Amino acid sequence: MRLDTKIAWHSTGTFVHFSTTHEKIVLQAPTCDIESRLERQDQSLRALPDLDMATTTSPPSVSEPLPIFKLAQKYLLYDADTVAYLRREHNICGVLIGGLAQAPQQNVFSGLPLELLPEEARLLVEKRVAYVEDDTINHRRTFLEGGLGPEERRAYQAALRKQGVAAAGEQTRRSDRRKEVALKQKSENGNWNDLPEDMLKPSPGRSERQEASINTDVRPHDKQDDEALFDSTPSPVLRKAHGSRVSTSAEVAPYAVTPTTSYPPLQSSMSPSESVHVDVPDAPQSYPIFRYLHDQGYFLAPGLRFGCQYMAYPGDPLRFHSHFLVNGLDWDEEFDLLDLVSGGRLGTGVKKGFLLGGLEEVSAGNRGQGAAKSGDETARGVRSFCIEWGGM
Amino acid sequence: MADAEEDTFPRGGPSGEEPDLTDETQDFRFLAAISREDASIPKRGEKDFEPHATTLQSNTLAASRQAMHNALSFQRVHTPKNHSLATYHPETNMAYAYTPRGPLFARMGAVLSATEDPLGNDELRGKRLWLLPEEVLYLMDRGTIDVRWPPAGEGGEGEGEGLVMSLQGAYAMFMGDEGRVGGALTFERYAVYSNLKRAGYTVHRAPSWDSDDGERGSECYATIPGMTRAWHVGLFNYYTSWWNIWGTDDKVTDTERAEGPLVRNKLYRSYPEIYRRLALIPYHDPTAQFGPKDPESATDPAFRITYHVWKPGSTTYKKSAPGPPDFRVAVVNARDSAVPTLEQIGALLETTPYKPPPDNMQIYQKLKHGYKNVILAIVDQGVVSYLRIADAAFGREKSFERTSHGRGGKRGGRGGRGGRGRGR
Repeated sequence: MRLDTKIAWHSTGTFVHFSTTHEKIVLQAPTCDIESRLERQDQSLRALPDLDMATTTSPPSVSEPLPIFKLAQKYLLYDADTVAYLRREHNICGVLIGGLAQAPQQNVFSGLPLELLPEEARLLVEKRVAYVEDDTINHRRTFLEGGLGPEERRAYQAALRKQGVAAAGEQTRRSDRRKEVALKQKSENGNWNDLPEDMLKPSPGRSERQEASINTDVRPHDKQDDEALFDSTPSPVLRKAHGSRVSTSAEVAPYAVTPTTSYPPLQSSMSPSESVHVDVPDAPQSYPIFRYLHDQGYFLAPGLRFGCQYMAYPGDPLRFHSHFLVNGLDWDEEFDLLDLVSGGRLGTGVKKGFLLGGLEEVSAGNRGQGAAKSGDETARGVRSFCIEWGGM
Repeated sequence: MADAEEDTFPRGGPSGEEPDLTDETQDFRFLAAISREDASIPKRGEKDFEPHATTLQSNTLAASRQAMHNALSFQRVHTPKNHSLATYHPETNMAYAYTPRGPLFARMGAVLSATEDPLGNDELRGKRLWLLPEEVLYLMDRGTIDVRWPPAGEGGEGEGEGLVMSLQGAYAMFMGDEGRVGGALTFERYAVYSNLKRAGYTVHRAPSWDSDDGERGSECYATIPGMTRAWHVGLFNYYTSWWNIWGTDDKVTDTERAEGPLVRNKLYRSYPEIYRRLALIPYHDPTAQFGPKDPESATDPAFRITYHVWKPGSTTYKKSAPGPPDFRVAVVNARDSAVPTLEQIGALLETTPYKPPPDNMQIYQKLKHGYKNVILAIVDQGVVSYLRIADAAFGREKSFERTSHGRGGKRGGRGGRGGRGRGR
């Protein structure tokens, strides 16, 4: 297709006409439309978290500001509770870059850690929801340069051991239950002949082990720890050392556990009160439009494989399709008309709007109604344009 | 057809019929379905258009989020039966394990020679398997190995194996500390590695992993018509010179090119004769490149072959002698680099082996197959997209000659296509 004939751009109106040799196309750039749409989205989104809380069995509680771990110029999160919290309360999805140990040979579902876009990390830091920790330095100091005293080392091992015992006990119970169910099914089929008589009872070795694990669990000084038994991360309470534990639970043969996070034994280097001065992560030039759309209640995800910088979702991407292909530009940045055409075509092809936006120069202060209410510098004065093919 | 399979890599690409489920965030409630034995993959398009503030919708979302949270909270445990221990080695940022169990180690890790082993040539060297940072991370991620920090120097009582390393610790060291030991593993590279491993491929670092050590051996170029063909060449020259004498040559002479006409008055018996005279524009012919164009050409660090990849069912692969890989993958960071220039792509393709399409292939498949190819794995913040770039020779596939060539198979009786492809 060649755009070789007349192109008329009515700068005052919202229509762009292209007359080509083959067909007539109308490009629409409704500047106001998008804003009202965003506002509506925003309101309906606000209602979501509350409903969420009601239906979720135990909404993980996370205290702000929370640490974002920085290593090799990337921003990572390792804690499932934090990930769920940011998703629910702050519309931050990130990208899960790990695998799932329970389903290791597939790429459809991913697991921890979660990589945050630099834009997301910056946004969270600017909102004082999070601060950045240098994870490599922390780990080096703690584990390689002797930052951990013998007491703490023992406590860490004891905590892991305890989780291992719990995991082993859980595993035994589960396999016993499975066996029981299978045998019951078999017996209901009337096929009794090939069953030894004592099969329905749990094996003696196992029950012994179970008892042992129960015994260790009800020791008086352990009562405070019982809550933490099935947690994925050892609770801070466990850091209180119990020197005697190591010997007492030796007969249980605990499973070895690989924890996901290092906290504890690591401790946050920053107490929440002193998080006034923090490093603000660098973000690319497209940050203003990112921040703007996020403030409007959108969930944003990296969009390269869809041909844009970000995908904008009206709600959690778990549940919703995206509405916009977003590209951020500088206000005076020149770009090819062909980019506009191909972007608009691409967007229409996948039933999404092609959205361009950037930070308007400060001198144009006549634009108040589009500014974000947060009063933040970067989100003020951002204007966005949505391009769709008009069906004419 | 083996070549057709190659074209479909990776599974479910944009041209494929099946949608790529990894494209979008999937509902974690279907994870149970995927990890069961009768695995079924969730269907696409079960999402909503926009929030409409109904209880049904928010309940479904809450259930999905809960399922996601449950899946992410999974704890990695090692039963005593298959407990593989490995120890972190900070000086090299690798880890070693003593005779670890499991089928995965048939394709990962390496026993290093006496001079290369960082721990020296002690009696345990033969049993000591060294794991590269990406291998450790991947194995840890799937819950296969239990990595320990090096034991404390003073030998704390009862902890001969060292403290347990968490997944976070592993990322902090193996990824975060790569710069200190001068390693070249980046998040982008690890994302591609783990993505391919999870899909079942065998992946190894390429020689050009951290330097411009590209293989530009003879296998990267078309073979010069050798001694066996000399007779043919000679006869051909003789033949053409006769045609020149009689003035019926097909070729356009220099004067004609400069002054015209290109198609002079004469009797033409077919259109190809005319078209051939009109074909003036020079084109890149990969079959005529027998050596490096520019001996000093170097690949751009941003576009270099990073991994050699073998298919899951590869029968020729052996850990000790892997043989030629099925694919060559170059990892590209989308945020640091733009679309490659012709120069960058040219230099990159120069380092890949010459793999011409079989003669009996259809013209469009032939163009798609190309004479050299490389796979670009473009990583945008952890999201990987694969692109296959091939050196297609449009100039060689003349559409006006198509009918005369037919669809091949005519000459199939002569030795098969495997033996012939390179000799031309």
